[in-house]
Amino acid sequence: MSTYRQELRGRFATLGIVIVVVLTALLVRLWTMQVLNGESYAAKAENNRVREISLEAPRGRIFDRNGVPIVNNRSALAVSVDPTHEDVRSLRLRARNDDTADDPTRRELDELFGEFGGMLGVSATDIFERVNDVNQEALRPRVVAVDAPKDVVAQLLERKTDFPWVHVEEIAVREYPFGSLAAHVVGYAGSISEREFEDSDEYAGYELGDIVGKAGAERQFEGVLRGDKGWRRIEVNASGRPQGIVDEQAPRPGNDISLTIDIELQRVVEEQMSDAMAEARRQGYGSAKAGAAVVLDVTTGEVLALASAPTYDPSVFLGGISKANWQTLTAKESEYPLNDRAIMAAYPPASTFKVITAIAGVNAGITTESQTYTCTGRWTAMGQQWPKSCWKRTGHGTVSSRSGMKYSCDIVYYEIGYEFYKRKLEELQAQARAFGLGTVTGIDLPGEVSGRVPDAAWKKEFNANYPEYQLWLPGDTVNMSIGQGDMLTTPLQMATVYAGIANEGIIMKPHVLKDVLDSEGGVARSAEPEVLRRTGVSQDVLAMITRSLVDVTRDGTAQAAFAGLSAQVAGKTGTAEVMGKDDYAWFCAYAPAQEPKYAVVVVLEQAGGGGAVAAPAARNILASLLGEPVKTVRARDDSR
Amino acid sequence: MNKTTSQRFLDAVNVPLMLWAAALIVYGTIVVASATSGMADGSGMLVRHIVGIVVGLVPMALAWAFDYTRLRGWQGVLVAFGAFLLVSPRIPGLGVEAGGATSWVQLFGVRLFQPSELAKLIFIVVVAAVIASFKGRIDRPADAMKVMAFLAAAFGLILMQPDLGTGLVFVAITFIMLIAGGMKGRYFAVALAVAVVATIVVTQFHLLEEYQEDRLLVFIEPERDPTGAGYSLAQSKIAIGSGGLTGKGLQAGTQSNLNFIPARHTDFIFSVLGEELGFIGAVILLGLYLALLVSALAIATSSRDLYGAIIAVGVIGMWLFQILENIGMTVGMMPITGIPLPFLSFGSSAMVTNLGAVGLLLSVWSRRYGT
Repeated sequence: MSTYRQELRGRFATLGIVIVVVLTALLVRLWTMQVLNGESYAAKAENNRVREISLEAPRGRIFDRNGVPIVNNRSALAVSVDPTHEDVRSLRLRARNDDTADDPTRRELDELFGEFGGMLGVSATDIFERVNDVNQEALRPRVVAVDAPKDVVAQLLERKTDFPWVHVEEIAVREYPFGSLAAHVVGYAGSISEREFEDSDEYAGYELGDIVGKAGAERQFEGVLRGDKGWRRIEVNASGRPQGIVDEQAPRPGNDISLTIDIELQRVVEEQMSDAMAEARRQGYGSAKAGAAVVLDVTTGEVLALASAPTYDPSVFLGGISKANWQTLTAKESEYPLNDRAIMAAYPPASTFKVITAIAGVNAGITTESQTYTCTGRWTAMGQQWPKSCWKRTGHGTVSSRSGMKYSCDIVYYEIGYEFYKRKLEELQAQARAFGLGTVTGIDLPGEVSGRVPDAAWKKEFNANYPEYQLWLPGDTVNMSIGQGDMLTTPLQMATVYAGIANEGIIMKPHVLKDVLDSEGGVARSAEPEVLRRTGVSQDVLAMITRSLVDVTRDGTAQAAFAGLSAQVAGKTGTAEVMGKDDYAWFCAYAPAQEPKYAVVVVLEQAGGGGAVAAPAARNILASLLGEPVKTVRARDDSR
Repeated sequence: MNKTTSQRFLDAVNVPLMLWAAALIVYGTIVVASATSGMADGSGMLVRHIVGIVVGLVPMALAWAFDYTRLRGWQGVLVAFGAFLLVSPRIPGLGVEAGGATSWVQLFGVRLFQPSELAKLIFIVVVAAVIASFKGRIDRPADAMKVMAFLAAAFGLILMQPDLGTGLVFVAITFIMLIAGGMKGRYFAVALAVAVVATIVVTQFHLLEEYQEDRLLVFIEPERDPTGAGYSLAQSKIAIGSGGLTGKGLQAGTQSNLNFIPARHTDFIFSVLGEELGFIGAVILLGLYLALLVSALAIATSSRDLYGAIIAVGVIGMWLFQILENIGMTVGMMPITGIPLPFLSFGSSAMVTNLGAVGLLLSVWSRRYGT
């Protein structure tokens, strides 16, 4: 019996060991988890309980030079669709797969979105397009309507069970108190597209679908206007329901900026352009629908007004532009209203270029102010087989260099140009480049083009595949001397040329930014006037040019347009010939002539002669600048 | 032998066992209070928990007062009652389904208790009597088979509910009692082989309910069911691990109070303890369990007969396996099953059963000198 007792004791001892082993195993496991890896589990627990949402920073506002808001912020009710909701997601997946036969049918879309869309006045297909937009963060609700009527929003919220995928939230949107006015200067904002997001480093630190400046100042000053996003960390329970705020970092609103634009002047400029185009159409130039105008302060380079026609309403981009609107804005028939022609379009400057030919001619000793030429309307100096005409076929008779400017006599400039050709020094090109032609001005707006100053090297390369066209011919220099041929300039470039002449040969860098404002509305940083280039043209020569340009408005090609204006204006008409199109009307000017302050350029595509429509528009812009009455000028004038 | 009343009383009382059991109950009540604090009817649940403790004192006292040696004579009745308990949830009008298993009984729409909990104690008493009848040596296959037949019957009835976890407790109880009862080593080898083969057969032919298979396998492959069992396991591990050395404090566990832990007051009560009281709190719990089990082992050793010793060992086996399985599942060492943690988990059936087990131990202890 005692061995049995001993055996039993042995078994109990075994049991005791089992107990200790089991409890020790658990203890070791707990030690590993809680003491050795406690921190990593704690991080996971924190991650579980806390969701971070980003808080959008209000975008900086944009004011004109006098503090008038051009772009404001306001809150709007946005109705959006949750793309991750089961009903919506299944349709999206079918539209995404390669099998087009499986795409959701019109009927299916109507079934899901029909009633909802009807309430908002958006078609089911449009809604689906938005929902399927790949240019958005995958989980982000897709805005389908901004500023939906309050009663509709209320209904949508009440009928949550019918539309479980609908979200309504208040979002900050841009507001444009002046509508389309100055649209090309301020630009517009929209969500970053997938391509932009992936293809450039520009948007590091952004999320797909964030609102960014896409054009104009909105884009140029994105870094200033944007501000810094904030975040809020909220505690959620296991079902994701918020329980409270853990902590938050308020967003830092973007800085407001003020532009050099004077919005009232801008209004005058845009009205004058559209009046002028209407007048051109009335005069038979039916295609006069596009153009650009620039007003510069010649002493500072400030852009007081900058307009491009046709224009657009930036508010169509709010909450994402609809496909139909986008197609309209990018269609050829609409004349590409998104393009800012003042800096993106390069036109032949035509006779407005003659100031540079004149300056170059005097500098080279080819001509003087009083040198005379004979204009018979026909010019055969390059040989009988290469005749050229003056725009005035009957001829100007005997003209001097000075009156050649006044009447815009082409023969005078052919002669000068031909001399340049014979000297083979490309001095005319050099003079053009000295005024900044052929390179961008560096204005603080995106998308500026450089135009072109043609020369022998350029022509050879341009016609690399056409050996027979590679040689620089006398006609090339002759055409260039009247701003035709292959010469191309932007309206802004010509504005800086005239501003440079006006400002004693010094071209100030054009800019639209006036001040960056701080959060209290004070000035954080101002744009200082900056010399872009010193042309080196002597004051005597500049004075000569001014004299001849004053003649133009007093009794020359722009006489009719400037009738009744008391201020002295130095200006030049231009009428550019463009293959297959009606003539493009130019007018470049600065005023007051003796103490210049402003430079104005107006270009109107296919609007006819510069004196007829462009000069009257410029005249009224200057009148407005100089405090003189604006009046309707009907200058039916063939003068160029 | 003449003894005074007070001596007789002291003989009957096992102070360490009662002390450790009481300490565990108090500890458990504190953790249950914390776990239920954020629930809709938190205070009501706490009251129910305490009521369960008080009610449990009755079977404890009855078992204590009853001479266990006389239970042997009730073998037939106990077997019948045990079988009835295991079948009862299946009886129409009596059984009620909860959590995918029909393991509760109710009367007049009031959910009463889980009969399989109480059945554990009856099983211990019944099988202990069988094993004790072999006089400490199980070297005939027929004897081993007889015990296995009891296990198979009970296990089968519980699997029908189906409640795999509780079934495994019966397996653990049986094997640990067989060790004490002197079963030969090679029989354990055979039993192990049978279990392995059975497991393979069951998994290969998908004899288990899918949820059971998931629960069993998810601790090997957590991705098997990330929102169900795998989710529970992951969240439980995060809770316990994030408790660190000292814990986040009672009611301050984010995993617990934000509902990341399912069944946090019942099966996953240890996750709450681990999160809120940390490693130190867990060590205290394991220390209390160690003390409880050692006290129970001392009672087994002190038993005047093999029957009492094996009853005590059965209780130890029940508790030890439930501790291992329950805490083990919360830390990912064991498959996820619905077994309560002794004295800690919310739930009256389990509390009553555990207090009844304490009563059985005390009955063995108080009769160690014979009558």
